Amino acid sequence: MIGRHEAALARWLVAPALVFVVIVGAFPVASQFGLSLTEFNLKFADERSFIGLANFVRLAKDATFWHDLWHTLYFTGVSVSLELTLGLAAALLLHGLVRGRTAVTSSVLMPWVLPTVVAATMWSLILNDRIGLLNSVLTELHIMTEPIVWLGPRFAMSSVILADVWKTTPFVAIILLAGLKSIPRHYYEAAALDGASAWQSFRSITLPLLKPFVAVALLFRAMDAFRIFDLIWVLTGGASKTETLSIYIYKTLFRYADLGYASAMTVALFGIVFILSLGLIRLMRVAVEAR
Amino acid sequence: MRSITLLGAVLTVAVLAGSCARERSDGITIVFAAGNDPSGATEALIDEYNAAHPGVTVRFQAMPANTDTQHDAYVTYLSAHESNIDLYSLDVIWTAEFARAGWIVALPEGFIDEEEFLEGPLASAKYEGKLYAVPWFTDAGVLYYRRDLLDEAGLAVPETWDDLRAACATVARPRGMDGFVWQGARYEGLVCDFLEFLWGLGGSLSQETLRSNPAEVQADIAAALRLMRSFLEEGITPESVLTYKEEDSRRVFTEGHALFLRNWPYAWSMAEGEESKVAGRVGIAPLPHAPGKVGYSTIGGWNVALSSFSTHPKEALDFLQFITSERALRARAIAGAYLPTRKATYSDPEVLAANPHFADFFQVFRNTRNRPRSPHYPMASDVIQEHVHAALARETDPESAAAAVVRELRTTLLR
Repeated sequence: MIGRHEAALARWLVAPALVFVVIVGAFPVASQFGLSLTEFNLKFADERSFIGLANFVRLAKDATFWHDLWHTLYFTGVSVSLELTLGLAAALLLHGLVRGRTAVTSSVLMPWVLPTVVAATMWSLILNDRIGLLNSVLTELHIMTEPIVWLGPRFAMSSVILADVWKTTPFVAIILLAGLKSIPRHYYEAAALDGASAWQSFRSITLPLLKPFVAVALLFRAMDAFRIFDLIWVLTGGASKTETLSIYIYKTLFRYADLGYASAMTVALFGIVFILSLGLIRLMRVAVEAR
Repeated sequence: MRSITLLGAVLTVAVLAGSCARERSDGITIVFAAGNDPSGATEALIDEYNAAHPGVTVRFQAMPANTDTQHDAYVTYLSAHESNIDLYSLDVIWTAEFARAGWIVALPEGFIDEEEFLEGPLASAKYEGKLYAVPWFTDAGVLYYRRDLLDEAGLAVPETWDDLRAACATVARPRGMDGFVWQGARYEGLVCDFLEFLWGLGGSLSQETLRSNPAEVQADIAAALRLMRSFLEEGITPESVLTYKEEDSRRVFTEGHALFLRNWPYAWSMAEGEESKVAGRVGIAPLPHAPGKVGYSTIGGWNVALSSFSTHPKEALDFLQFITSERALRARAIAGAYLPTRKATYSDPEVLAANPHFADFFQVFRNTRNRPRSPHYPMASDVIQEHVHAALARETDPESAAAAVVRELRTTLLR
C-alpha cells in the first residue's frame, strides 16, 4: 500500500515532467487546433476570421488531400514492408558473421548516416535517364536497350521507394541485430539437441523472441515514412503521383502562407498518425506480452 | 577538396562581411536581396555606389538560385515583418501577391519614366494600376534550333508547330536525335512552356477570359495539352522531358542530342560556350504557333521592390533608382548578359558588341505575354502544374485535365 503522503510526493515529482509535456506537446497541438478553425492567410492577414469547421469541410472535398494521403499510405506500406524484410535478412547475415562484424556493421550503416538531402541528390544522379549510373549499368549488362526514365511518370514512386529502402534498411537491420544478440545462445543449443532444423529454430525461437524488436523498428519506420518530405522533394518535387501530405502541407504553409488551412491539414494528419501509432503500440504490447 | 577550400573561403568572407557591416553601424546599411550574380557586375555596381555615398552602405544578400525556394524564403521573412532586408528582387509573377499582402510599397508617382521600359516587364511590376517595383532584367521563351542541320536539309526555320513536326521527322528521327526538348517537370517552368503552347494556338488564360468564357478556355487548354502530348506520343519529344528543368533540357541540346530547344535567353551563351558541342551551329527564333496565329513568349525576369518594413526607405529608394538606371542595366548586360528592361539599352553599341544576339532577342520580345497576374498566383500555378503534368504523363486525359484547371482556377483566381 502506498501511503497518502507518498502519493502526494509522487504527484509533485511527476509535476515538472507533466508541465514539460504540456508545454511542448499539448500546447502546440491545442493552438494548432485553434488555428484550424480560422480563415487566416498571412498574405491576407486583414481577412482573418473564425470560420468553425469550414476548413475541415474544404479538406473533405479536397481531391489533392485524398490523393496525397493515398500516396503517403502507399509509400509507407511498401517501403516499410521492404525495409523490414531486407533488414531482417541483413541482421541475420550480420549476426552470423564470425569475423569483422563491427567493421561490416558500421559500413552497412553508411546510408543511414548520410543526410537525406545528400542521399536524395545522389540518387537523382544515379536515376538520371541519360547520365545516370543505373541505366548505364543495365545497358552494359544487356538487361535493357532503351534507357528508362526512372523519375518519369511510370517509375517515379518505385524509384522513390528504392531510394528510401536503400537509405533506411540499415536502421532496421541494426535494431534487429540488437534483438538477435539478446536471444540467449543456449535456446538454440537445446533446440539442436532435440534435433530441430535451422528453419524450425528460426520459426520457433528467433522470430517470436525478435517480435518486440520488429515492433519497435516498425513503429519508428512507419512514423518516419508517413512524414516523408525531403527525399521526394529532391527526387520528383511531388510529380507523377509521388506528392505526400507533408509536401502539400509545406506548400500550403510556406508558399500560400495559408495558416488556417495548413493547420486543419496538420490536425487531420495528427489524427491519422495518432490512430496509426495507437494500433502499432497495441501490436507492440501484444508482442512483448507474448514474450 | 577544391570545393571545401572554396566553401572555407566563402564562409570566411561571410564572417568578415558580417563584422564589417557591424563596424560601420554609425552609418546606414541598406540590404538588397537578390539571386546570386556570378558575373560580379552587381557587386561592382554596389561597390561603386558605396564609394560615392559616404554614410550609406549597401550590402548584397545572395539568395538561392531556385526561384521557388527564393519565393518561399521571402514569404517566411516578410510574413514575420523582417526589417533587415530593404530591397527585394522579385520574380515578375510575385508583384501582385506581395503588393496585396502589404509587404512591398507602391513607388512614388513619377519614380521612373515608364515610356523608357519594355511594356511586358513594366506591366508585371504593377498591381491594381500602381507601380510596385522597377523592372530590372527580363527573360522570354525562345526557340533554339540547329542551324547547320536545318540548312543541310534545306529547311526553313519552323514558323508553325507543323513545320517543327516535319523538321523533326526528316532531320532528327533518321539521326536518332531528339526532336524538340523543353521543360516538362512539375514546377514553375512547366507553366511557362504550357502557356506558350496555349497562346500559340490562339488561346488565353487570363482572369477576364476565365470569367467571361470558361468553356472556350477549357477547349483551348485541352487543345494545347493534345498538342504537347502528340509530340510525346510521336517520339519528337522524349518522355524524359517530363523530368526536365531548364538545365536538363539545355544540356541535351548543347550535347548535340536535340534539334530544337525551348529555353530562356541565358542558354545562348552556354550554347556558344566552350563546353558546348554545337557552338557556332545554333540559331534563335520566335516560338512556333498554329497556322494563322501568332507565337507568344512567356515573360520571365526580375523586378526590384521596396520592403514595407524597411527602416530606411529614402536611402533604399535612392539605391533602387541607381541599380535600375540605364548605366546599371548596361553594365549588367555587358558583364553578365542580363537582358535589359529599358528599350534604349538594346541599341547601345557597347552592349551589342558584347552581346550581338541581343538584336535578335529584341525581335523575339515583340510578342511576349505575362502569366496571370494575381495575389493568388502561387496556388494557381500549382493547379496548372499538377493537371498539365498529369495529362502529359497520361495519368488523366486532356479533356478532364482542362476541366479541372478551369474549375480550380475559377475558384483560385476569381474569388
